[in-house]
Amino acid sequence: MKFVPKQPREGINVSDTHPLVEAGTLVVGLTAIFVAIVLALIFLIEIALYFVPAEKEAELFRDWLPDDLATISPGDERLQQTQLLVDRLAFHWGDSPYEFRVEIDDSEMANAMALPGGLIIVTQGLLDQVESENELAFVLGHELGHYRNRDHVRALGRGMVLSLFFAVATGSDVAGLGLKVSDLALRGFSRKQESRADEFGLAIVYTHYGHVNEAWRLFERWDDGDDSFLDLVTYVSTHPQAGDRVGELKEMALRESWPVEGPTTDLKW
Amino acid sequence: MDGEMFDRLGLLVNFGLPLLLLMLAYFAGNMIEKAHFRSIRRREAENHGFPVVSFDTMPDDWKVSESTMVAGNIVVSLDYFKRVIAGLRSLVGGRIKTYEPLLERARREAFLRMTESARKQGYDAIFNVRLETSRLANSRGDGKGTAGVEMLAFGTAVKFASRFSRTL
Repeated sequence: MKFVPKQPREGINVSDTHPLVEAGTLVVGLTAIFVAIVLALIFLIEIALYFVPAEKEAELFRDWLPDDLATISPGDERLQQTQLLVDRLAFHWGDSPYEFRVEIDDSEMANAMALPGGLIIVTQGLLDQVESENELAFVLGHELGHYRNRDHVRALGRGMVLSLFFAVATGSDVAGLGLKVSDLALRGFSRKQESRADEFGLAIVYTHYGHVNEAWRLFERWDDGDDSFLDLVTYVSTHPQAGDRVGELKEMALRESWPVEGPTTDLKW
Repeated sequence: MDGEMFDRLGLLVNFGLPLLLLMLAYFAGNMIEKAHFRSIRRREAENHGFPVVSFDTMPDDWKVSESTMVAGNIVVSLDYFKRVIAGLRSLVGGRIKTYEPLLERARREAFLRMTESARKQGYDAIFNVRLETSRLANSRGDGKGTAGVEMLAFGTAVKFASRFSRTL
C-alpha cells in the first residue's frame, strides 16, 4: 500500500451559506411566522367575542376571582363606598349586561383593572391617591368603558398570546427579544383602547355630576411629577402618558361642551 | 421626561443595545474565524506529507523503533452572533450552519496540534488516530456558562527504524 499525503478537503463539513444570509432568512421567516400567529390569535379572540356575548360572559364569570388577588376585608368602608359609586355610575349605562363587583387589591401601586364578568379591581394605592369622589369616578368610568368596548376580554386574550410566546421562546436564546417585540406591538393597540375607554368614562362622569370638574386632576398631579418615578414607569407601560391624557380629556370636554367647573364631591371615608 | 423621549429611550435600550452587540460580535467573530482558518491552512501546508492515519494495527512491514502517545487538544467558543442565529435555528430545526465552521476549526486545529507535537519530538508518523469531543459548558442552565466545545485528537506516534521505511 502506498501512502499518498493529501491536504484536507474543504467545503464538505462547512456549509458555504454566508452567516448573514442564514441570519436574514431566519429573521424574516420567523418574523413572518410570529406575525401570522399573533394575527391568527387576535382574529380568534374577535371570533370568540362575537360568539360569546357580554351576557354570557357575565354569567360564566359571575363568582370568579383571580387566584393571586389579595383583597381587603369585605366590611371595609372604602370597599362599600367604591361599590356604591360603581353602581351609581353603571346606572347611567342603562343596558349594561354586567353586574359589577368591586374588589380592592392591597397593592401599593396605583391601578384599576377590568376583569371578566364585571369584576373591577381597584388597588389601595389608587384609593390612597385620589382626593375627591370625582377623581375616583372618572377612573371607575374608564373601567366601565373597557367593559363597554369589551377590551377586558381582548386584554385577557393578549395576555394569553404573550404567555404562549413566552413559553415557546424560553426554549431559546431569543426569549427576551421576542417578548419585547410583542410587548411593544401590543401596547399601541392598548393605547387606542385606553382613549376610547377614557371617552366613555368622561361621558359617564358628565352624566352623573353634570360637569367634568376634577375628572383628570389625578393625572395632572401625576404629570406634575409629585409621584415617584417608579410609579410613573409602571403606569406608563399600560396607560397613555398622564400629560397626553389630560390634554386629550380637556379637548374632549371642550368638543362636547361639558362644563369643566362645578361642585366637587368629597370622598366618604 | 416626556413620553416620546421615554419611548425612544426604551426602544434604544431594548433593541439598540442587543443589535450593537450583535454587530460587534459578528465582525469580531468573523475576523477571528478567518484568521484561524488562515493559520490552519498555512500549518496544514507545512505539515503536508506527514502520515497521520487511523489504522489501529500496524502493517507488518513497518519497522518501528520507538512509539509514544501524542495528543492535541483545543477548546473553542463561538461568538454571540452565531449563538443567536443558532438559537433562532433551534426554533424551527435544520442544519445549524453557524456551528459547522466552529467544529471544523476544532477538528483541524486538534489534528494540527497533535501532528506538530509528534514532529517536534522527532516522530515519523502517527497511527490509530482518534477524535474525542465534549461539550465544555452550557449556555443555558444557570445562564452564565460559555458555550464551548472541546476537541481532542490523539494517536500513537512512531519512529521508524530506518530512513528507508519512512517512505513506506
